[in-house]
Amino acid sequence: MTDTVVLTGITKRYGRRTALDRLDLTLGAGVTGILGPNGAGKTTLLRCLATTLAPDSGTIRALGLDPADRADRTELRRRLGYLPQDPGCYPHFTAFDLVDYVAILKDLTDRAERHREVRRVLADVGLTDRATTRVRKLSGGMRQRLALAQALLADPDLLILDEPTVGLDPEQRMRFRRLVSRVGEDRTVVLSTHQTEDVAALCERVVVVSGGRVVFDGTPFALAAAAEGHVWSTAERPAGGQYWRGADGRYRVLGDRPAGGESAEPTVEDGYLLRLAEPVPA
Amino acid sequence: MSDWHVPTDLLTAYRHGTLTPAQVMSVEAHVTGCRACRATAPADDAWLAGSWARIEDVVDRPRRAPAERALARVGLPEHLARLLLATPTLSRAWLTSVVLVLAFAVGAARFADADRALLTAFLIVAPVLPLAGIAVAYGPTVDPAYELHAATPLAGARLLLVRAGAVLAPAALLTGAAAPFVGGPAALSFAWLLPGLTLSTACLAAGTRFPVPVLAGTLAAVWVAVCLLATDTYVVFSGPAQVLYGGAAALFTAVLYRRRGRLDPGEPR
Repeated sequence: MTDTVVLTGITKRYGRRTALDRLDLTLGAGVTGILGPNGAGKTTLLRCLATTLAPDSGTIRALGLDPADRADRTELRRRLGYLPQDPGCYPHFTAFDLVDYVAILKDLTDRAERHREVRRVLADVGLTDRATTRVRKLSGGMRQRLALAQALLADPDLLILDEPTVGLDPEQRMRFRRLVSRVGEDRTVVLSTHQTEDVAALCERVVVVSGGRVVFDGTPFALAAAAEGHVWSTAERPAGGQYWRGADGRYRVLGDRPAGGESAEPTVEDGYLLRLAEPVPA
Repeated sequence: MSDWHVPTDLLTAYRHGTLTPAQVMSVEAHVTGCRACRATAPADDAWLAGSWARIEDVVDRPRRAPAERALARVGLPEHLARLLLATPTLSRAWLTSVVLVLAFAVGAARFADADRALLTAFLIVAPVLPLAGIAVAYGPTVDPAYELHAATPLAGARLLLVRAGAVLAPAALLTGAAAPFVGGPAALSFAWLLPGLTLSTACLAAGTRFPVPVLAGTLAAVWVAVCLLATDTYVVFSGPAQVLYGGAAALFTAVLYRRRGRLDPGEPR
């Protein structure tokens, strides 16, 4: 597999806080999920990739281009789609106008061609019948789909999605997964999420970020498998450790075997939580 | 259905587009209901898709705002007009506030029997209006869609300058239109133009290093303070001062051009 994105030794600081700490990562075609707790550096990582933020040190190569170079950065921006964590929209715009506006910013200047492209992406996210509705009248889920629509403009080679499933109902989430997996068949998609079920259902690869470093990089299956032998089910409330009570009334315990604990099938979430509990390597 | 089918020579002429309109309608009326003839006259799918797209673009084209139509009439490209009109500053709220400030100045001059003090106040406030517009034209703290813009090819200097232009033009036009009505010599009524340009270019040039809204506030405060502290306010608008403003505006424009890359959020620091 050819690497379309290579990040080497990326560091980004905000004042005294280090958001990314000498982070190395390579991405190829397919869907990669970035998992991590709040403040782990996921959004900073995606912003560096999306060229909206320059790292303090380290190098990025994306689609064979160097975002530190002005001409390369402009070319890269033509070929990437970006859904920010907080996309923000002009509430007085209609859905069509907003996507049309971003299309202009992406250098799609021919009106007829641009409008075709706007209609296509609105149809992709199921908002054709809302094209003339003002953004302020759209529900949260619809706004999220609208923001996704603008990211899909011009068939991007690199699609960067920051928390894309926030606000989507189960049916919309299913539609989103279908859409993103289709894009990921031959292009690079990287998405950050808190939803481990999205990662399990959608991503061929998962990267866990903690403290600005990559602490796991592998398949969702491998992340789940890493929790093998550390996930237990018990009827009694455990004395300590990580646990929660499931819908079946039994406690699910991560870590050492509790008294009366029975081995349970690990999930991606179990693997993720256990990985976060381990110290970040220096 | 009859057993009649479109003769081959007629179909060939139809495909080549050499039939009369009446013959075309006749052939199409038959082909619509006859599967056998449809099969012998296969559709050009690419042409059909293109044709539908063109029809859809006419039927389903969004209605353009009056301002957009006006800009198109003066020859501005359609995409540039849309870009300009999306500038957050050009909202009704900002334009209304500019008009109200100017209307107050003109009204006071006409009906309050005001002396030169009113003209002085006008001259001090006028350069600040475009500056205020630029302050809220583009940036992470003032533009709700900033992060969306920042990842597009137009991010940074190009977009900021387009928007600054979009703000400066109506502000200058409105203020210029009000100037003759505030009293005083005609030349003095327009003496705010170069200070306004200087403040705006200074704000944009320094915006390569500091946040634009903070700069705009600071520059406005410094400008007002200088005007108020001057022994004679009109010295600030005198001929030699205007030459200085012109030079400073040119200098700030050169600095802005040289450092324009720094306005791009993705530019390494």
